[in-house]
Amino acid sequence: MSIEPILFYIFSTILVLASVAVVTVRNPVYAALCLVLAFFTCAAVWLLLEAEFLALVLILVYVGAVMVLFLFVIMMLDINLVRSKEGFIKYLPAGGFVAILILIEMCVVLGPENFGIEITGEPLKHAADYSNTKELGVTLYTQYAYPFEIAGALLLLAIVAAITLTMRRRPDSKYQDPAEQVSVRRDDRVRIVKMAAEKKQ
Amino acid sequence: MKGIYLIIALAPMIGAVIAGFFGSRIGRTATHLATTAGVAVSFLCSLVVFKHIVLDGSAPFNGAIYTWLVSDGFRFEIGFLIDELTTLMMMVVTFVSLMVHIYTIGYMKDDPGYQRFFCYISLFTFSMLMLVMSNNFLQLFFGWEAVGLVSYLLIGFWHKRESAIYANLKAFLVNRVGDFGFLLGIAAVAMYFNSLDYADVFAAAPLMADVTIQIIPGYDWSLLTVICILLFIGAMGKSAQVPLHVWLPDSMEGPTPISALIHAATMVTAGIFLVARMSPMYELSEVALSFVLIIGAVTALFMGLLGLVQNDIKRVVAYSTLSQLGYMTVALGASAYAAGVFHLMTHAFFKALLFLAAGSVIIAMHHEQDIRKMGGLKKYMPITYWTALIGSLALIGFPGTSGFFSKDAIIEAVHASTIPGASFAYAAVLIGVFITALYSFRMFFLVFHGKERMDDHTREHLRESPWVVTGPLILLAIPSLLIGYMTIGDMLFGNYFGDSIVVHESRDVLAQIGAGFTTAGGFMLHGLLTPAFWFAMAGLGTAWYIYLQRPELAGFFKEQCLPLFKLLDRNYGCDEFNDKVFAAGSRKLGKVLSDTGDAKIIDGFIVNGSANTIGWLASVARFTQTGYLYHYAFVMILGLVGLLTLFVMV
Amino acid sequence: MAFEIPNFAPALPEIFVFTMICVVLIVDLFLTDKNRSITYLLSQATLLGAAILSVVIQSSVPEYTFSGTFVNDGMGTVLKLFIYLSTAVVFIYSRDYLIERGLYKGEFFVLALFAVLGMMVMVSANNLLTIYLGLEVLSLAMYAMVALNRDSSIASEAAMKYFVLGSIASGMLLYGMSMLYGATGSLDHTTIASAISEGSGDDIVLKFALVFIVIGLAFKLGAVPFHMWVPDVYHGAPTAITLFISAAPKIAAFAMLMRLLVEGLGGLLEHWQDMLIILAVLSIMIGNVIAIAQSNIKRMLAYSTISHIGFLILGVIAGTSDGYAASMFYVIVYALMSLAAFGMIMLLSRKGFEADTLDDFKGLNQRSPWFAFMMLITLFSMAGVPPTVGFYAKLAVLSAVVDIGLVWLAVLAVIFSVIGAFYYLRVIKYMYFDKAVDNTPINSAYDMKVVMSANGVIILLLGIYPTGLIALCTSVLA
Repeated sequence: MSIEPILFYIFSTILVLASVAVVTVRNPVYAALCLVLAFFTCAAVWLLLEAEFLALVLILVYVGAVMVLFLFVIMMLDINLVRSKEGFIKYLPAGGFVAILILIEMCVVLGPENFGIEITGEPLKHAADYSNTKELGVTLYTQYAYPFEIAGALLLLAIVAAITLTMRRRPDSKYQDPAEQVSVRRDDRVRIVKMAAEKKQ
Repeated sequence: MKGIYLIIALAPMIGAVIAGFFGSRIGRTATHLATTAGVAVSFLCSLVVFKHIVLDGSAPFNGAIYTWLVSDGFRFEIGFLIDELTTLMMMVVTFVSLMVHIYTIGYMKDDPGYQRFFCYISLFTFSMLMLVMSNNFLQLFFGWEAVGLVSYLLIGFWHKRESAIYANLKAFLVNRVGDFGFLLGIAAVAMYFNSLDYADVFAAAPLMADVTIQIIPGYDWSLLTVICILLFIGAMGKSAQVPLHVWLPDSMEGPTPISALIHAATMVTAGIFLVARMSPMYELSEVALSFVLIIGAVTALFMGLLGLVQNDIKRVVAYSTLSQLGYMTVALGASAYAAGVFHLMTHAFFKALLFLAAGSVIIAMHHEQDIRKMGGLKKYMPITYWTALIGSLALIGFPGTSGFFSKDAIIEAVHASTIPGASFAYAAVLIGVFITALYSFRMFFLVFHGKERMDDHTREHLRESPWVVTGPLILLAIPSLLIGYMTIGDMLFGNYFGDSIVVHESRDVLAQIGAGFTTAGGFMLHGLLTPAFWFAMAGLGTAWYIYLQRPELAGFFKEQCLPLFKLLDRNYGCDEFNDKVFAAGSRKLGKVLSDTGDAKIIDGFIVNGSANTIGWLASVARFTQTGYLYHYAFVMILGLVGLLTLFVMV
Repeated sequence: MAFEIPNFAPALPEIFVFTMICVVLIVDLFLTDKNRSITYLLSQATLLGAAILSVVIQSSVPEYTFSGTFVNDGMGTVLKLFIYLSTAVVFIYSRDYLIERGLYKGEFFVLALFAVLGMMVMVSANNLLTIYLGLEVLSLAMYAMVALNRDSSIASEAAMKYFVLGSIASGMLLYGMSMLYGATGSLDHTTIASAISEGSGDDIVLKFALVFIVIGLAFKLGAVPFHMWVPDVYHGAPTAITLFISAAPKIAAFAMLMRLLVEGLGGLLEHWQDMLIILAVLSIMIGNVIAIAQSNIKRMLAYSTISHIGFLILGVIAGTSDGYAASMFYVIVYALMSLAAFGMIMLLSRKGFEADTLDDFKGLNQRSPWFAFMMLITLFSMAGVPPTVGFYAKLAVLSAVVDIGLVWLAVLAVIFSVIGAFYYLRVIKYMYFDKAVDNTPINSAYDMKVVMSANGVIILLLGIYPTGLIALCTSVLA
């Protein structure tokens, strides 16, 4: 038995456990960290599949950027730990039942009789100088040029949407305009009124 | 030509729309100009079509103008079938309608519903044209119902009069009975022929001649007989054949122009037209023809008898209409379709003439309709007198008038016919001739001759009607007198109708009569020798003797035969029978159904029950929309699980 | 690896729209609120230009390009044209509404055009990847549009729900697509179709994938039980956005249904047929029944949409080209009716007044007989009363269903559409027989009134002359 299956089972077990923990742990910071762990192990599994580029991107983008942002948000918001788990027990029977049902059904379908090695065939082994990145790039820019462009449009849209929804002047907030503040002159603020002196009563 | 056909049908409708929607804004003059122009355009275009189809001998047009939808092989469309028969009907309808439009300008001068009236009569013209020009059963049914609707509206035109409302309701209900049969007939056609197009159905009819169906299990009925009789029940309603005749006399509650246009000249002939149009089907069923023949004969004879005892000038003409419709129906039953349609045409002219003349008299008499209070009007109203005389002579079939040719042809045709019931029909129509002459001239003498029985006030104001009234009278008198002489050769014995009417060889009675036919003049001379002529003369003479020479005899006869008079006066008890049995019975049944069936079961249980159930369901189901995101998501997951379990696991 | 330059011509409309989006985005930066109409005109010009290009490059035989990820065919052209048309109408209807509510910004137009782009991509997709990306472009634009009015808490809530549920649905769709890829080894519709036809057709993985894909579609269409977002979003979003969501995206969703199920998974007809039957029955039942209990007309129309979607699915269930044509006809007609109905709400609304409850329609006939009549036509059409086009649309899908022997389904659909007629007729009753609650005169832009009237008249005219449009649908699906 080679080392790969052993590694696979180790990473997979951690992946599944980490995923379960994401849903079950009480503290959202822990949950986010569990998710990070899940991403890591997932990346490791992908590495075993020789998908190096994707594995690295997963870590760079999700762990490096997305999850950090996520953690920031969680820490900045004051989340009521008790309330977020409220009703967990109440919904557990129904939810658990459905979840188990889906699990069973997925096991039936996704078992070895449909996805076993004899069905899908052994994946191709590549030589050491094979570049996963290059292959992906070539496919992406030739065969999938059109979807790739649409993905670009999607990103532009995401920027527009995000800016639309956040860049706005709330009617109830008071904001400062430094340019206005700097260019302010005395006349704008002070009004000198001349008036006759009044006699002391 | 397609464009012209459309113009013919739509011009009156445009007039009706203008009169109906904008009448009160554009005023009376503009209204009658618009509607009359519409009908005039129609009439002129009909002349063009007449030239095209009949004189130039172009092939008949049969095609769809507009297809609404095609469903399962059924085409729901508006289409025209323009052949010789249609052309004739179009000419008659548009001409009489035009005359009536002009006449109405004078007759309805002071009526507050002037614009409404013009809207209705133009609408009627449109509907009637749609009916006769149709090339399929669906449009036929549309026209059929549309003329029924307009007739209903017009009988009740003076809707504040109790009797008018009673009359229009009655007309509506009786026609509904007929229409029920008619609709069943159309349904049967649709079911067995799988098409509503005339051409398809007629082409397929010979193949269906031997098909039998079982409506009551165990009894085989010929399909075509069933269809023909059902369609004829519709025709009986519209053309007022016994026993569905009861509405027509009452329909005289409507203004006189309407009686002329709808209840004499055009709408009531729709049934005749229908049977003639369906001749390829009727020819395949002798039973149906016999049925038609007997119904027609009964109507012709017994309705004429009723005319003898009426005192209302319009009712006399109305009963004569019934009787004449009976003649036409008899002709159809004897397979002499051409004679039936021929009589339809001549009758349209002289009956419209008689009604309009009656209207003219009624105007002069300040809306007095009782002939016992008239008399001696000859010297006051010469034009009306002479035109009425022409009309009456035509009605009794005086040799030379148009009525003579058509009626004599029918009588001869029945004489020659051999189908079951023909001998009875022959006897009936012969006696009918005597009676027709008797009641026609009874009315004529009582109105125009003899003592002046009106009150002084009325007498002082007696004078001839204005030109818009007399003009149409004169224009109608001309065809009443001449059209029979001019057209009998072509229409009856020539090949006028071409393929539009189909007659089985063994029953082609007109061809038998036609064998001896040379000229119209010869036919006239021959007519002098037939019993029909002498029956008519006898009737005329009797009327002259009783009502002019010995007026006291009328009262004497009345006393002698009081029960008979009473029976006739009460329309053989038909009205009472209908009122007591059908009306009261259906009211009682209706009450029972309404109390238990409708109020309790349908309203209480089904309607309110289901409405309550649905309402309750709705309000309950509404709560599933809780507004909670996780509920929504969970519903989606449940959907996923449901579908997965159903389709992947099972 | 040699790279062939793909043929760009079939995708010209998409390229044009995307370029114009960038132009609008930049031009709008330099505009003030006063001359915002330049953005408006540019957006309309974009749609017009795209329409012209689509007509110019139309092709009667399917034209594939970009390595088979893009297809240009008759169905695509027709659907795209109707997408442009309904979007243009939305722009006209919503102008005043947006100005009055301070939402008349360049972003609205940019987002709407992005949505149009997404729909175009979906309509022309021949690859799982393209279809998914098009869907995402559309969805993302719509999430943002629903939330456009940030000061409205109900709109934000609706956007949030829409976003979360939409993400779940996208996830399921994507999962189904990946399973499909696993089972067939391809993302290309054509290849998938041939792979399925070679297989036994009873592959459990395919069925598994199919369930997820159908769910993704059902969510997009708003079919029960994946409909929960519809009422909340229709109700919560500003009416202009509701109008947009209710019309064009349904056309795109139909295209997706056709591309995925019929063109890609046609070999699994017998399986997805049964699934769609369940969805259709539930949609027609639940949509019509719950609509009765609504007092908000936007919510009521949302449920009515759900039932219409049920009818739309019926035609696809038939699995015949007649059925597809009937569905296509239905979706186009539905878009027209929906534009008219929501347009009417906007016509009646004014600054500070939404006109979105049933009571606001009371006595409309006294206020404006003409527009009451237009609404009457629209509602009759939605209820399926002849001679409006809605009747014909319902008839077409029902006859398609009857043709394959599913009479019970047709009967059920008819029964529930009779029940459904109740809530349409109730609005008509309010309009004609009740007294007006407020008698404010109806003021709106001239062009809106003209287009609104044209919209109503077209619904009537199409009912009288349906043959042209149905023939068009039949010919492109033959």
